[in-house]
Amino acid sequence: MPRHRPIFWQLLACILFLSGMTLQGAEPPRAVIAKALITEDAEEQSKLVASLAGNTDPLIRDLLTAWKEGTLFIFEAPAGLAGFTEGEKLAVTLTGEKDGEEKQGALRVDTAEVLKDGEGKAIRLLESDLSAAETDSNLRVAMKGVLDVFALSAADSVSRLKVVTQIGLDQDPGLLAALRAREKIEPDAGVRRAIRQSLAQIELKNEDAAIRIGAVKELGAMGSISSQDALKELVRNATAGDGTEVAATAALKAIATHVKWVNFYGTFFRGLSGGSVLLVVAIGLAITFGLMGVINMAHGELIVVGAYTTYVVQCVFGPGLALSPFGMKIALPGLNATGAALDSYFLVALPLSFLMAAAVGLALERGIIRFLYRRPLESLLATWGVSLVLQQLFRSVFGSNNVQVYSPSWLSGNWTVFDVILGWNRVFVIGFAILIIMGTWAILNKTPLGLLIRAVMQNRAMASCVGVRTERVNMLTFGFGSGLAGLAGAFLSQLGNVGPLLGQDYIVSAFMTVVVGGVGSLAGTVISALGIGVVDQSLQQILLNPVLGKILVLAGIILFLQWRPAGIFVTKSRSLEG
Amino acid sequence: MKLRKFLATTILTGAALLTTSISSRAADDTVKVGVLHSLSGTMAISETSLRDVLLFTFDEINKAGGVLGKKIEPVVVDGASNWPLFAEKAKQLLDQDKVAVTFGCWTSVSRKSVLPVFEEKKGLLFYPVQYEGEEMSKNIIYTAEAVNQQATPAVDYELAQGKKKFYLLGSDYVYPQTTNLVLLEYLLSKGVPLENIGGGFKKDESGQIISAGKYTPFGHTDYQQIVAEIKQFAAGGKACVINTLNGDTNVPFFKEYAAAGLTAETCPVVSFSISEDEFRGLPAKQLVGQLGCWTYFQSINSPANKKFTTNFQSWLKNTDVTGIVKEGRVTCSPMVLSYDGVYLWKKAVEKAKSFDVDKVTAALEAGISFDGPGGLVTTQKNHHLTKNVYIGETKANGQFKILKTFNGVVGEPFLKGTFKAKTAK
Amino acid sequence: MKRAISRTEFLFIAITAFIVIVLLPALNAEGIISNFHLNLWGKYLCYSVLAISVDLLWGYTGLLSLGQALFFSLGGYMFGMYLMLVAGPFGQFAQSGQNPNGLPDFMVFLGHTVLPSFWRPFASFSFSTLMVVALPGLLALGFGYLAFRSRIKGVYFSILTQALTYGAALMFFSNDTVMGGNNGFTDFRYILGVDVRSASTQRWLFIASAVLLLGVYMLCKWLTGTKFGLVQRAVRDSETRVLFSGYAAANYKLFVFVLSSLIAALGGALYVPQVGIINPSEMTTEKSLEAVVWCAVGGRGTLVGPIVGAIGVNALKSWATRNCPDYWSFILGTIFILMVLFVPKGIVGGINDCSAWFTKWKKGREPDSTILEEITEPAASPSQS
Repeated sequence: MPRHRPIFWQLLACILFLSGMTLQGAEPPRAVIAKALITEDAEEQSKLVASLAGNTDPLIRDLLTAWKEGTLFIFEAPAGLAGFTEGEKLAVTLTGEKDGEEKQGALRVDTAEVLKDGEGKAIRLLESDLSAAETDSNLRVAMKGVLDVFALSAADSVSRLKVVTQIGLDQDPGLLAALRAREKIEPDAGVRRAIRQSLAQIELKNEDAAIRIGAVKELGAMGSISSQDALKELVRNATAGDGTEVAATAALKAIATHVKWVNFYGTFFRGLSGGSVLLVVAIGLAITFGLMGVINMAHGELIVVGAYTTYVVQCVFGPGLALSPFGMKIALPGLNATGAALDSYFLVALPLSFLMAAAVGLALERGIIRFLYRRPLESLLATWGVSLVLQQLFRSVFGSNNVQVYSPSWLSGNWTVFDVILGWNRVFVIGFAILIIMGTWAILNKTPLGLLIRAVMQNRAMASCVGVRTERVNMLTFGFGSGLAGLAGAFLSQLGNVGPLLGQDYIVSAFMTVVVGGVGSLAGTVISALGIGVVDQSLQQILLNPVLGKILVLAGIILFLQWRPAGIFVTKSRSLEG
Repeated sequence: MKLRKFLATTILTGAALLTTSISSRAADDTVKVGVLHSLSGTMAISETSLRDVLLFTFDEINKAGGVLGKKIEPVVVDGASNWPLFAEKAKQLLDQDKVAVTFGCWTSVSRKSVLPVFEEKKGLLFYPVQYEGEEMSKNIIYTAEAVNQQATPAVDYELAQGKKKFYLLGSDYVYPQTTNLVLLEYLLSKGVPLENIGGGFKKDESGQIISAGKYTPFGHTDYQQIVAEIKQFAAGGKACVINTLNGDTNVPFFKEYAAAGLTAETCPVVSFSISEDEFRGLPAKQLVGQLGCWTYFQSINSPANKKFTTNFQSWLKNTDVTGIVKEGRVTCSPMVLSYDGVYLWKKAVEKAKSFDVDKVTAALEAGISFDGPGGLVTTQKNHHLTKNVYIGETKANGQFKILKTFNGVVGEPFLKGTFKAKTAK
Repeated sequence: MKRAISRTEFLFIAITAFIVIVLLPALNAEGIISNFHLNLWGKYLCYSVLAISVDLLWGYTGLLSLGQALFFSLGGYMFGMYLMLVAGPFGQFAQSGQNPNGLPDFMVFLGHTVLPSFWRPFASFSFSTLMVVALPGLLALGFGYLAFRSRIKGVYFSILTQALTYGAALMFFSNDTVMGGNNGFTDFRYILGVDVRSASTQRWLFIASAVLLLGVYMLCKWLTGTKFGLVQRAVRDSETRVLFSGYAAANYKLFVFVLSSLIAALGGALYVPQVGIINPSEMTTEKSLEAVVWCAVGGRGTLVGPIVGAIGVNALKSWATRNCPDYWSFILGTIFILMVLFVPKGIVGGINDCSAWFTKWKKGREPDSTILEEITEPAASPSQS
């Protein structure tokens, strides 16, 4: 292929880079970047940045990274500044040392010298007066091309993995040498595998059929999902007779098998995490409905209480919060924490959302439900009224819009094992569900309160006769169940939206989970939640239609209850009406 | 004893009849204008801000002397996210209040619900929210974005960015369904092969492909499987997602999307239902770099927009209307299109020198222009607007950076079938 | 046993029926009552039919179904299918020649070119009318048979009907079902050859709704007065005892469940042409619960109560969504909580109790065991706690 000729020069550039030398272009990179920074035209900007590709001056990396992170600024000359025409633009960096007026010294990007006016006096600037240089996706793509070569030797394996994968997808033969060199010194096994994959992907474009077929076979053996498109293209464009087509078809088949397994394990994991969400949501209901027999239609709103508590805590850790419910003005001051301190808001929010929801639950129990213990159908209706009122209350206090809840950084990454994505938030929800179940079990079975709860739930009259204050136990049990709903809310804020209607999305499935599990049985709830989760995800995977899957699950539940009306685990009772 | 029951019934019924019968009459120096949005229920989340901006616009016009010398008297009614109630309220506005014009509706279904009412009773409705097209009632002015003022420009942009694979994802209702159906035809006409269109295909009973896309129900919370599917779809690079999920469900989707390690650089998402207002409830940090396409962005740098945003914010501060949230308010496309609608109506009334629906409609059909916050808008004969289309990229502060502008795009409601015809030629 | 209907009551029903069926439409034809109000009241009458069907189940048999709105909407959908097929050739696509097969508009813009086969029979008015009762009836029969056979009762029954409703709503929301999706059916044109939107058609629909309500009322009145009605109430108060007395309680419940689903479906079928739209948000659990609210507010266990509740609450809703939209949910929720807590028998029941108490007080406070029993909450058997 004729295009291999210019590539030779790119190869040379890479080799030169690897040996630590720098290549000087016509214009120093500093000047190019400075020019790009003040260019208004987005296309021109991208072109200028792209022209730096192949240049290996580490300065480029530093400047472009700073640009991306928003620490490069555009200085616009005010009227009457000596040595400048009004509105003249100049790219600068700030020195960081602030004087009494918060003003900082500035360095010009193009010359790296201190920014001075026409009279040679250093200009000091306020950060808030400057506009940070912006980037758009085109520009970032251009930057990426330039930064890729640097990123190959990045310190952390995650960014190396990213760049290696992208190089493979771009199939740019110019980077073959850089990749090969890196492979030899790469310490991380995962990255090494990715490098091999990328090398093979680039070789798919090789003119030599033997090399090409070798690459195809390697990709097939690796089960490389990301190569499917390239392989398909190869099949389409194949000229008959050189064996590429056959090899590529075989490789695609191998990859398809691999994808099947990935989907199988992925579905299992997703089902587990989906089931855990159900479990976390339903566990509170398993207490109030399962143990106490109270149909609390406002359970969903107790979840919302927990979610909003998380939101408020986050705001207090961050910039504070101003609310104006019913014409009143409420302002909560913020702690303005950043980084790990801000991230820790979630740990504070967990117990607080438990307490808030428990408090609302207690009020609900004292105010309404205790009058209706003997009329379960009516407690269903009254609590539905409560849920309407609470929903409107949330709207009045927090607005009808959803609110933003940030996930702490330790909940927003993922591990990829065997091409299955294990999101940290999903792994966390599974762990969280296990903890809650163990905690609930321990409280019910290992504490004096749990003993009382069980006694009252089994036979209220008898418990009362032997001196148990049933009223108080009822209250505490309901508060405990409500608090668990609050915990669920705190957790759901990490997975989905936080708004007045959040609870409605979960309430039906929560009731189903408890009923299927067998009312009054924690173990039943666990099994039914995980079962529903796995079945739901499997149906989604098989049918590729989330709605149909959901409908089938519901139909399945209805039929299951015909077969076992009392759920998976039947609580034995001698009561006729049981 | 049973008689008492009946007495009670009669009294109650009578009282109820009375309360619903009372209707007020407009004074001579005012003109009644209907505002029909959901202020409670699920759609209140989006529609209340339209009520707010309409009230602001009326105040602004009234301060400047009103319309034809008459002050606007708004009649605000709540559709309560209940579609039959929308029809009832529309009947009430037209029959009882005899409003000159109505501004309202957000969802397609609410518009479909009131459409027969407006046609039957010869009313005039201004509809401000992006919609699926395939409709052109003589009693509705669609200030909304048609599919060719949002979806197809966005696809053009992505194609120009070198994207080869498109994953279509939406909520299961008519707007995403129709948009994706048009997009399927459009993509095919642009030479994108079927296997590069993700999300699945829908076939009719004879097995012919009639539409594409993956759809999730309202209130769907679990996007794990779909995101895993997109991750595999996008593994080969050069892919993007065309997202028509409605407001709420975007949160779990984007949270899952970010957790799976997908970013705007590896696989950008173009969303059609996320405006600045929806953004307030979304995890902005996880959305940085994703794209949006509207006919207005708050970040537009023009005098008209500056004036609009400043005046709206100061109106918010001073208003004493109950139920208006004052903090953290933004402006977005449906709000601006509501605003534009009121001014277009005002200009049409002044041109027709009458509030009569037929005359005003005729004036609008003849072409009325207004230099609004989103640029110049002009009414067309087909009851849609010619306007500018912007493609923007989301920033961490919940605003959009404008990447590309298409000037003066003509609104075309009937797109289905048009692109197929092109390839056939 | 006394007659099912006393003379005063009969007189009163006759007068009310005359006013609603004859007088109001006549006044409307004369232009004294506006079309808007007649139409609004037509809607309330359909809601009243729905409320009675809830009451028959809940008030008389103790079965709290959260699926009545489903049957109501199913009836509406079945009739709507006929209306859509009639309207198809007059829709905008047919006008512009893009729809030679006369499909309903929504199918055209979802890309369909041929009518799905299950739609075809609905072009016939009589088939649609048959399906209005057949489909909800069969669904109720199947679901009820399964549920009552395995003795699902009380709150479990409620939760199960909730699951049924949720599943059905999901199905109708989905556009894959080709039932109009979230938009449902709108823009009806003709019904048996006459314009459905014209004032006179609307008037006839109003009369039909009033006649239906009267019929349903009389039917329920008669039914609850028979021995069947007694068993029904016995099932409500203590199903176990009924079982031990040798009655097949499940069959009784099944019959009531099917009957009430039929009543709801008929109400829905008349509701749709009057409001001009049917969509899946009408069949959600919340709508069923709203119907339960009407019943509870008006007074369950009576037949007038549901009517009072349906009309009262909806009139309040019409008023509140106009005058104080931000507080509508507060009002509805609070009314509901207060009614359940303090006036569990609703307005009508409350008035009855007051008058009973008043009579007793006038008699000189003689202890009257029958009244006391009546006042005691029936479901308050200790074994349920």
